[in-house]
Amino acid sequence: MAARAPGVTGMRGIGTLPSYVVMQPTTLCNLDCAYCYLPHRALDRRMPVAVAEAVAAAVNPWADRSRFSVVWHGGEPLAAGREHLAALIAPFGPAVEHHVQTNATLIDDAWCAFFTEHQVRVSVSVDGPRERNGERVTRAGRPAYDRILRGVAALRRHGLPFSALAVVSRPGPGLATELYDYFLDLGCDVLGVNVEETEGVNTRGNAHDAAVVTAFWAELVGAWRKAPRIHLREVEWSLRYAAAVLDGTTDDLLPRRLDPIPTVAQDGSVVVLSPELAGFTDPRYGDFSSGNVLSTPLGEILAGAPDTPWVAEFLTGVEACRSSCPYFGFCGGGHAANRYFELGRFDGTETDHCRNSKIRLLEGVLEHARDHQSPAA
Amino acid sequence: MEPVADRVRDAAAGLTALLHEAEAARRSRAEVSGSDGASAVCAWNHFENIPTFYNWNNRPR
Repeated sequence: MAARAPGVTGMRGIGTLPSYVVMQPTTLCNLDCAYCYLPHRALDRRMPVAVAEAVAAAVNPWADRSRFSVVWHGGEPLAAGREHLAALIAPFGPAVEHHVQTNATLIDDAWCAFFTEHQVRVSVSVDGPRERNGERVTRAGRPAYDRILRGVAALRRHGLPFSALAVVSRPGPGLATELYDYFLDLGCDVLGVNVEETEGVNTRGNAHDAAVVTAFWAELVGAWRKAPRIHLREVEWSLRYAAAVLDGTTDDLLPRRLDPIPTVAQDGSVVVLSPELAGFTDPRYGDFSSGNVLSTPLGEILAGAPDTPWVAEFLTGVEACRSSCPYFGFCGGGHAANRYFELGRFDGTETDHCRNSKIRLLEGVLEHARDHQSPAA
Repeated sequence: MEPVADRVRDAAAGLTALLHEAEAARRSRAEVSGSDGASAVCAWNHFENIPTFYNWNNRPR
């Protein structure tokens, strides 16, 4: 197929200096959400402090040069406990930002004090109103919603700003407005909306009717436009692309190279690009890791990451996207985990995730723009 | 040659109105580049640089 997005030169190869690192303080999660991709979330394997010390040795100098963050992910990172998480944070220098992606169920006054003391920025996973959280359940199978709200209430009581991340399993008419209005009330500053993905141990299909998903995103634009108090990731990224097209600066949009985004698993092993691959093995690709920080400095691991067999195949896939997909200038190439878990390889191109969360997103924004040529009513 | 970009340009009227509103919204949120260190909100140009889930490409979620 002829080149469909001429002139898009970004996202060639992998950079050697990340802008952040994802850390897994424990594999354990106290919830058992139906759509979760994590394979070891029932086990409490905690990250030794030596792993954090090894990562900090690499990233502290990077943070002195440019903005750098550690994202404490999981499992549920708060399930590691305050004492252990503090011990893991301790080796990092003051220039390193700390973020946590949490289900919020464990947040109380003591955790809020912890966030303040360690300047941890908080993002909460919640899927909307109570009836939209049926997939988010405890290990006993009970709804987690009340516990999530108690955690959010604690954040608000302490005046801590927070982001929110919502999973949408079944897009449909009315849902986008319902969700956006809910998050306005919840009080988050930033919102990301993920259409459920088939990955990891979640093998549920994620194919949806194209018109329905496009209409979902178009409706979300309309809801956001009426009260744009929230930083809405999907809409704002789409608008950023649209502005670049209209300004003729599209090729300035994508990073020159892919951020390696190293995920450091609890045992110190490093998986680049897609955290969802950590903890999995495959006869062809092995355990997907590019090394272990307990034996090799992180910088050295990242320098060698393009030689990891699956990574080399993935980079071929990015070039295939570049040469075949008209949305490449918007998207920058399909994610590694979606390619692998949907297509079984890394050099395939379009996935259902691409369709739901990139292609139909942009089409939804354009649909809204075509239908609303004057300012919002 | 560029079917997606062409359709973006075809929707320029609606998009321009939307972009102006988005710009006003950003100003009303007083988004600066985290200078006070307290806000979870990031500036427009920093949007993809804030982790957790803000990175568009190959972000964790």
